[in-house]
Amino acid sequence: MKKGLSNKTWLCILGGVMALCAAAAALVFLRMPKGAVAVVTLDGEEVHRVDLSAVTEDYELSFTGKSGITDVVEVAPGKIRVRQADCPDQVCVKQGWIGTGVAPIVCLPNRLVIEIADGAGKVDGVTG
Amino acid sequence: MKRAMVWGLLLCLALAGCAPQSAQRTIFAMDTVMELTVYGKDAEENVKAAAERINELEKLLSVTREDSEVWALDHAGGETVRISPETNALLRAARAVGEATGGALDVTLYPVVRAWGFTTGEYQIPDGGTLEELLKKVDYRAIRVEPDETGPANATLPAGAEVDFGALAKGYAGELCAGMLRGSGVESALLSLGGNIQTVGNKPDGSPWVVAVQDPAGEGGESLGTVELTDQAAVTSGGYQRFFEENGVRYWHILDPETGLPARSGLVSVTVVGESGTLCDGLSTACFVLGKDASLDLWRRCGETGLWPTHETTGMADEGGFDLILVGEDGVVTVTAGLRDRFRLDENTGHTLQIVEE
Repeated sequence: MKKGLSNKTWLCILGGVMALCAAAAALVFLRMPKGAVAVVTLDGEEVHRVDLSAVTEDYELSFTGKSGITDVVEVAPGKIRVRQADCPDQVCVKQGWIGTGVAPIVCLPNRLVIEIADGAGKVDGVTG
Repeated sequence: MKRAMVWGLLLCLALAGCAPQSAQRTIFAMDTVMELTVYGKDAEENVKAAAERINELEKLLSVTREDSEVWALDHAGGETVRISPETNALLRAARAVGEATGGALDVTLYPVVRAWGFTTGEYQIPDGGTLEELLKKVDYRAIRVEPDETGPANATLPAGAEVDFGALAKGYAGELCAGMLRGSGVESALLSLGGNIQTVGNKPDGSPWVVAVQDPAGEGGESLGTVELTDQAAVTSGGYQRFFEENGVRYWHILDPETGLPARSGLVSVTVVGESGTLCDGLSTACFVLGKDASLDLWRRCGETGLWPTHETTGMADEGGFDLILVGEDGVVTVTAGLRDRFRLDENTGHTLQIVEE
């Protein structure tokens, strides 16, 4: 006769897995953004993340990529922009504030991207 | 009792594992930022292959890299150059779109685009004489390719003329990668190539991909509406994407090959949806130049079938027609019949929707 695992052992495994599932669900739930969350990446690496609805006072951050170009990012209640950049084309600066939109701000020469990662109603992609 | 617990355990694992396997990659190529998302088994391997393919294409097709095939063609001084199947495919696609649109897309416009500074960001308004001189070299029909079929070929450009695939390369890259991914058994992928969207299949849950079309008038990159895609591409061209202002006049990067001036056709953006990303890319620029009436005429003529019967002209795997979303200066959003049930205008954008049935 082959000896299987006892009922008690199975109960333990089941309980353990369920606890893990619950923890994972809680983690996902707790990490859900309350408002529009802006994510700043530099050359594909996340360098700043902020819930724009929780911002009460303006602040600025500077990001210098490998190219040596510096983008000054301004964060304000509900919105974010590249205020100043020493890139030649100024496409990122001209784009102005974003907050509720779907299109990201991209400073190509500096490889800086600001995206709004929304909770509900998020689309899969943007053409524009 | 034991059996019930085993099932319970399996159910639990299934629920925990219900997020589909996926892999994502951000790459900077073709003068833009690209986000590639692939689902299913071997997602990591497949997304890596797609990224590598795009980097390969960039090396071939870049107009600024001195080791690219396009650079060799542009600087051959009238001599014949050996080209790859990829460059040939784009030349063939460029000719097909050029011919169908009366030259509204002309891939030899590059020297004029450079004169405006749109290639460097050092913007300026070229004087009439300069434009007239540069326009003499602009004519896609002067490109000779032998043999006149898909595959590697010999191409000759008149001395002083320069081609640039900026209006086609991203769509082509998306289309090629989508074909490659499908060939590897991928059933679900979203490739966002700097505002060019290429999809493979549907979302992992089986529903169509939902892609926002940017509102050309919106200040903060807002959404105008959404379009549902299945195994299709969506590409947008608009005057708001790259521009400069001088004395209160806005000059944008999409130029009319006829005049060398920013195209002012009454449209502020054009989105093309279809199976061939290359076609969508080329047509979005051409239709922006053509304006609403001529674009709808083109759709009536070729919307059902597309512009090329696939393998015969470009060697591309995809075929099929296209549909249009035209946004006018007057705030009217004109959508062709194939997107009747797939396009949804957002509320409170101040636009009105018009469906063109035929």
